[in-house]
Amino acid sequence: MSDSFTRRQFLNSVGATGGSAAVYQMSMALGLLPGSAQAVPFAKVETLGNSQRSVLILGAGIAGLVCAYELERAGFGVTILEASHRIGGRNLTIRSGDFVDEMGHPQTCQFDRHPNLYFNAGPARIPSHHHHLLYYCRTLGVELEMFVNDNKHAYVHDPRAFGGKPIKNREYVTDARGFMTELLAKAINKPDFEKPFSSEDTERVLEFLRSYGDLSPANNYEGSLRAGYKSNGMVIPGELKTPHEFTELLDSSFWRLRMHFTEGEDQCSPLMQAVGGMDNIVKALVRNIASRILTNAQVKRITLGETGVDVVYQHKGRHEKIRSDYCLNSIPKHLMAGIDNNLPKDYTTALASIGRGKLFKMGIQMRERFWEKENIYGGITWTEQNIEQLWYPSHGIHSEKGVMLGAYTFDAENSEFFARMTPEQRFEEVLKQGEKIHPDYRRYAQSAVSVPWHRMNHIMGCTAVWTPETRERWFKRLQQPEGRHYMIGDQMSFHPGWQEGAMSSAHWTLAHLNNRVRTELSGAVANA
Amino acid sequence: MRWIVFALGVSVSVPTQADEYNLTPTQFVYCTVCHGVELKGNKSVDAPKLNGLAQWYVLSQLQAFKSGWRGSHSFDLTGMEMKPMAVVLTDKQLAQAAAYVTSIPTHAAPATVHGDPIRGENLYSTCAVCHGPRAQGDEALHAPQLAGQSDWYLVRQLEKYQAGIRGSSPGDAWGTQMRSSALVLADKRAITDVVAYINTLQTAK
Repeated sequence: MSDSFTRRQFLNSVGATGGSAAVYQMSMALGLLPGSAQAVPFAKVETLGNSQRSVLILGAGIAGLVCAYELERAGFGVTILEASHRIGGRNLTIRSGDFVDEMGHPQTCQFDRHPNLYFNAGPARIPSHHHHLLYYCRTLGVELEMFVNDNKHAYVHDPRAFGGKPIKNREYVTDARGFMTELLAKAINKPDFEKPFSSEDTERVLEFLRSYGDLSPANNYEGSLRAGYKSNGMVIPGELKTPHEFTELLDSSFWRLRMHFTEGEDQCSPLMQAVGGMDNIVKALVRNIASRILTNAQVKRITLGETGVDVVYQHKGRHEKIRSDYCLNSIPKHLMAGIDNNLPKDYTTALASIGRGKLFKMGIQMRERFWEKENIYGGITWTEQNIEQLWYPSHGIHSEKGVMLGAYTFDAENSEFFARMTPEQRFEEVLKQGEKIHPDYRRYAQSAVSVPWHRMNHIMGCTAVWTPETRERWFKRLQQPEGRHYMIGDQMSFHPGWQEGAMSSAHWTLAHLNNRVRTELSGAVANA
Repeated sequence: MRWIVFALGVSVSVPTQADEYNLTPTQFVYCTVCHGVELKGNKSVDAPKLNGLAQWYVLSQLQAFKSGWRGSHSFDLTGMEMKPMAVVLTDKQLAQAAAYVTSIPTHAAPATVHGDPIRGENLYSTCAVCHGPRAQGDEALHAPQLAGQSDWYLVRQLEKYQAGIRGSSPGDAWGTQMRSSALVLADKRAITDVVAYINTLQTAK
């Protein structure tokens, strides 16, 4: 039997002898089916009993807080040092009066004081398969509500197409599908076409295409109700919209990435958010953590020793040295080269190999929820301008005001474009671009907060940028502990920038630490 | 906050020797976020070592960033990152920042640039006219100390001078002079060679 015998071939042979039940069970055993596909299982940290162990956690973000929560329940002595003035890391919800600690541009949020008027500057979506995150929300009583990500009634905008005018998302998607399926149907339906299918299969493929693209019985795309009526359609017959020119759809770059964005596993419906702000997850964790969390505590040196880890930090005008059995470190890897340490060369090389991502978000308080009068309730308008996205809040429907997202840039150059401006210049630029989509945009805008993540004090980057090469070369090296020191956080996951990535990394580390301490303790018993 | 509990498994925190690190003034903690503990620099965020620089030079560069003749060129991506940090400071704070930087003792910078120091020594003769034979700098000529500075940063600045990203602003008379000097270095190899030579000149302060 050759080495290239694939899992699919194996399952086929299992099926041939044992039927579908055998395939199902074997798939479960191989971890191929959902349900068994939890990449990182939940770690159970066993209680220490009469033994004692101390853990120092660097960074009070999601990963650090989850580690503290689990370890203190198992009897570990836990201390958390946090360099910034606040707890939560990049889980940041900004409300009236909040201080936004941006390098060179410190801001204070001028939103009205109202429970609906907040801005999730960090994580804002909870996918329904992020099971660590949902476990903590469930266990700690964090109330969730639905979050609209995909909204076919929101707009697609590209200055290079449709005369620079926004069109409804549903028009673009429906017309694009219609034209593509018509093209395919015609290619397949030629009598002289060398067919990969039998004629019966060909008929089924054509049926599929007619259904997928809403084609006429003659396999033509003649517009579709999916794109919406031009007028009425309730008490008098509706008139279908005229389809856009296919070449014009291609002129827009919407199809390159955005059109299929919400098909992604992490982006598809349904998604959730925490009622009242994503930082309620942080608050719930902190409420349930008894361990000491020091803010404004900046680490200056990490020294790994045989029997423990020494960390020197500055806090309240003096230097302190703390010794612990273990150190779990979520300091952004690009800041580690600025902290004294005795980590080995290959480890620091690995840390330095990971790039520093750049994301920018702006939240704007709007005096009226004008988008709801345009039939938009939640979701995203995509534009090819620098602002890239507009988000309409999913909560507070039909209330007076709302905080909408005026820009969210995935492209590093777009992020730099805004980061280099003053907050006032950014606000003006975002309004200028936003009014290309909503003509009266500026009139509604009251105040803004902007967060360039690569300029946020003590953070200086979002997200960790791994390439396939650096993943291959360094990920396992950094995932494994160096002595008694572990790197943790979303940066140490395949989901950087997601709370689930941070929690999965935390649980990987907790499981490793638990095994290690068990081994130590059983050794101690054996030696006794 | 301090707590001392001598039991296994409990973190023990004790005040460290006062002379091990310098306390960072609260208003300048953010300098160390990028420039690192004791301002030793952090290449991962493009922030050079600052300790060991003369106070007059630190102050002049902070003023340069604030007034805009550094960090304004549209290709000066790292300079533009520094600029708002200086703009936000008052003149008094600029002086305090310069005093803070120079209060930190000099630490040796690790050598990261590999070139031919022998070839670099010949090339350096032009530089020595202003920066001095030991690359110790000369305030009268507005020439900063180069010895002991982050070598990757020196390379980058020479490249910026050559490309006109630095030293072509109307307010930057000394930079204009430096720019023409930098153009004496013929190619990339000449830059790394001269920096490799400067690396051999670590001066004890």
